[in-house]
Amino acid sequence: MAEAGQKKVINIAASTEMEQTLYAVKQKVYPRAVSGWFASWRVALVLFTQLLYYGLPWLSWDGRQAILFDLAQRKFYILGLVFWPQDFIYLTGLLVIAAFSLFLFTAIAGRLWCGFACPQTVYTELFLWIERKIEGDRRKQMKLDRQAWNIEKIGKKTAKHSAWLVLALWTGFTFVGYFTPIKELAISFAHWTLGPWETFWIFFYGFATYGNAGFMREQVCKYMCPYARFQSVMFDSDTLTVTYDPSRGEPRGPRSKSTDRHTAGLGDCVDCSICVQVCPTDIDIRNGLQYECIGCAACIDGCDQVMAKMGYPRGLIRYTTENVIKGKYPDRSILAHVLRPRTLIYSVLLLAIVATLGMALINRVPLRVDAIRDRIAARETADGHIENVYRLQIINMQNKPHRYAISVTGLPGIKLGDASSLAEVAALGTHDAVVHVQIDPSEIRARSSPVEFKIQSLDNPELTKTVRSTFLNR
Amino acid sequence: MQRIIQVLWPSFIAAGVMDIVLFTLLDPVALIYQDAPLFTTRLGAYSLGFFLFWLFGTVSSALTCYFQCSTAQLNKICKSSEPKN
Repeated sequence: MAEAGQKKVINIAASTEMEQTLYAVKQKVYPRAVSGWFASWRVALVLFTQLLYYGLPWLSWDGRQAILFDLAQRKFYILGLVFWPQDFIYLTGLLVIAAFSLFLFTAIAGRLWCGFACPQTVYTELFLWIERKIEGDRRKQMKLDRQAWNIEKIGKKTAKHSAWLVLALWTGFTFVGYFTPIKELAISFAHWTLGPWETFWIFFYGFATYGNAGFMREQVCKYMCPYARFQSVMFDSDTLTVTYDPSRGEPRGPRSKSTDRHTAGLGDCVDCSICVQVCPTDIDIRNGLQYECIGCAACIDGCDQVMAKMGYPRGLIRYTTENVIKGKYPDRSILAHVLRPRTLIYSVLLLAIVATLGMALINRVPLRVDAIRDRIAARETADGHIENVYRLQIINMQNKPHRYAISVTGLPGIKLGDASSLAEVAALGTHDAVVHVQIDPSEIRARSSPVEFKIQSLDNPELTKTVRSTFLNR
Repeated sequence: MQRIIQVLWPSFIAAGVMDIVLFTLLDPVALIYQDAPLFTTRLGAYSLGFFLFWLFGTVSSALTCYFQCSTAQLNKICKSSEPKN
């Protein structure tokens, strides 16, 4: 493999076409397939995330879609829970947790997200896999692109783009399936009776997938991704990054396997350029940490194979920290440097937010009440009481119907008028209860007094909400 | 082409965020304009809202690009927003 790799060194700039793409003039990158520890992890993560992504919307819970962000009904279903627009705070909390997790493991181990879990990486991997299955390995792909159009080239290109389009459309369909019930969507899709917006978004997302994973690839990371630009603020000298060890590798140079590198005055780097060939963003990791590096570790796998072939120790390119390379501590002490103020602060904040959100979720009462006093001023009833009328908007945020008892407190002798003390609300329904509140005039002096309504479910006393309003005197 | 994308892409991100925030706070079918509901379907409202925000963002980004031109460049025809020495 190493010998083959050495023979395969090709003057890339001369042999590939330059293309004017949407963002910059670039050479088409033909990442060479690589196998190894990190490549296996990436495959595992591609499979895991995509099984999750394509599979989740098909799961059912209580006879409905388990995960559904029903935009048309303005309700988010997540397993047994139903979230309403009023629960936006939980989504915000989730986003904050996602952000801090990203900060934390970026500070510890660099761009793990970019290299292994980002949809851009994952779909690029899938598209590259299809490309390799149809067009062959890196060299065959380059040859195919150089050669004139003939039946074989047309056939292969058509097959590749068709396969890409099918995958892209399936991705777009699944995406829309998270926002509108996927089973109905599948039936409409089969009968071609999709609504205009569903059709639009399936094709829009599908087209974006096709473009991003098929053509733009590393350009998305280099020019379009905001995260890639500011990741450096989370890095410090103890952050694990994909690093070439120049003290071991230099002076680099080709040599035969039998050459003793020490007497020849050479470092461990055989300058085979495998690390460049496997790089999806087409950089040379030997030039140091660069913002284009997405931390995919393909160069580590590639280099380790060459080192094994040469009989040299692995890890000329490895996950290590800047301080190790500077010789401040050895690789085995990396773990001891994971705990440092930056990571501790991120961890504490993360734990605090997770705990707060968890508590809030546990204590969340799926009931919401708003009280609006009738605009008609206080009036006197036939039996001489002062009466105020309120409209209580009761939202049952749970997926089953409830009966609620309504009571009022705040003034001595305050009571509810007839037919005001009970409300029935359907599952996930909203009910406007008109409530008459009465009081004896002798009990009230102020122009307006605060009152409090309590709404409690009859079948589950924990479902209780209180809401404040004011009671007006005549 | 490159500049068109430079204008369209950030506005796209901003429009997505704006759309989510606005329609979380506000139910589009509850909007009444001159005694008639403004939208019949929510999905349509979200989508139209998104494109409207995208348009506004595009105008804003394009103006930023446009105003980057120095007076000297404007006296000719503004071709590039890159700083000229």
